Amino acid sequence: MTVTATKLPPSKHPYAEVIHRLEAGGAMLPDTPENLMQIIGLYKAYAVPMDFYWRDLLYIAERVFLEPLPFFKYFLPKEYLDLPNHYAGDTADLMIWRGQATAHPELLAFMERGETGKMPRLFHHLWHDRINMEFAEMCMRSMLWHRGMGGRFDPYLDSEEYKANANRAIEAYFRGNPAMLSLHKLFPEMFLEQCRQMSYYSNLGLFWEVMAPVFFEMSDLYDEGKMTSVPQAMQFLVNGIFAIAGRPIYHHVYIKGECFEIIPKSKGFTWLYEAALPYVEAVFYRTAPFRGTKSYNAQANQIPADQKDFHYGILYADVFPVGTAGIPPTLLMQDMLHFLPPYLVEYYSKYCRGQEDMLIQLGVSFQRSMFCVTSAVIQALRQALLYPLDDPNPRHLLKNRTFFEGQMDRFLRPEARLNAIQNQAYR
Amino acid sequence: MPTIVDIAISSDSFKTLVAAVQAAGLVEVLQSPGPFTVFAPTDQAFAKLPPGTITTLVQNPPQLGRILTYHVLAGKFTSTDLAKQSTWTSVEGAEIPINFEEGFEVKNATVIAADIEADNGIIHVIDNVILMG
Repeated sequence: MTVTATKLPPSKHPYAEVIHRLEAGGAMLPDTPENLMQIIGLYKAYAVPMDFYWRDLLYIAERVFLEPLPFFKYFLPKEYLDLPNHYAGDTADLMIWRGQATAHPELLAFMERGETGKMPRLFHHLWHDRINMEFAEMCMRSMLWHRGMGGRFDPYLDSEEYKANANRAIEAYFRGNPAMLSLHKLFPEMFLEQCRQMSYYSNLGLFWEVMAPVFFEMSDLYDEGKMTSVPQAMQFLVNGIFAIAGRPIYHHVYIKGECFEIIPKSKGFTWLYEAALPYVEAVFYRTAPFRGTKSYNAQANQIPADQKDFHYGILYADVFPVGTAGIPPTLLMQDMLHFLPPYLVEYYSKYCRGQEDMLIQLGVSFQRSMFCVTSAVIQALRQALLYPLDDPNPRHLLKNRTFFEGQMDRFLRPEARLNAIQNQAYR
Repeated sequence: MPTIVDIAISSDSFKTLVAAVQAAGLVEVLQSPGPFTVFAPTDQAFAKLPPGTITTLVQNPPQLGRILTYHVLAGKFTSTDLAKQSTWTSVEGAEIPINFEEGFEVKNATVIAADIEADNGIIHVIDNVILMG
């Protein structure tokens, strides 16, 4: 960890303190043992449902595809539970997590017993004792809908090449089904748009396939006592981002045993530019206004007209109404609740309403952990596009400063939780 | 005169770059008449990248090729030519900012040896791998 004394005069930015911390190699989140425990515990609790999300996202993109009545799209077949993660286990392309490449044991245990007990999967599903996959789909749709966030993936979906590839797959998928084929003839854009959505299923699935092992490994390192500070955790994420930056993003569909490359790997789309950066922008910053906190009334002007002004991501979210109607992150909080490490359950029992409001307390910790991830993204961008923190050239340091200040400007609006997370009383 | 690839191979400081160009299947392109302007990162520049970065890229030639073509301009431009304009469009398609405020800088890299002439273009040696965005 490079820590240097700031050679520049102090910043005049309202978040000067945070900026100086970033310039010293730190995170937006203060470096306290309590913060470290919360963020690592939440990475662990998030990684287990994420292990389900990425598998199911790929299953839907590759196998369910345009099924008009996808009743069973959340019922992962065994081959997708056994699908080896490319970044875990002995067969990994680049081993990030030392654990197994197939589905996580805690996930399998939950899928078998849930909160109720052992019964067929269909009953678990109907009793709503399951992973809230709708949350993953919401993130995917957010990426689909917030277009033009950089990268080549989204523009490619409008190209003639993509349309031709998609068309081939659509015709193969509905072969022998004259009703759907004539629908496709009548409304050629309809299934094409569905296909674009499927490409985003694949994109997000490939993105999370990387994040799950990264979070598992961080949790293991913490348990082994090898991860002892927030900047260390952030640096681990930065290294992870660089290590995987060049992994291909693609969309393959399997129809009757044949593979259709709708977006081939040879297009050169990369994990960093075509998945990670658009994901951070779409999900951490923008998403869509919660139905339970904002009015969509066009006369009320509560929601910006311009998508780039959307500020409803986790970095801005009000976590206190979690568990009430119209607050989408509740789905994720409920998923993470099942997989909290024991030290966090004990910690939450001591504060606020103990285990009664654990959903909200873990939501706040989750927000802290995502500020740490965003710090890692900001540091990674700085490292990739600008200068080292210990650069001897003051002109270079000033460029870093301008970059950090620009990033912090996004948190100047009152909804941003950057101020709140500076303090442990926010829980 | 030797081509851009010949110069890189004969030098001691471009071992990683040569290996990367070979892995990405770009040797033929850079042997062709071009002309090209190549910003060539040294071995030390590649060594600054965090661990794993190169491993993943070498496993995926199209993605590696994209990073490498970001280091190439179509046409032969000396440092004097490059000083005329503050951004240039790379073969990859993304823009490369170039400035001469204080020496010759390409994005966040500094040119350590400029204007090395080759048969099919020109090489400027840089001390950092540059990345799009």
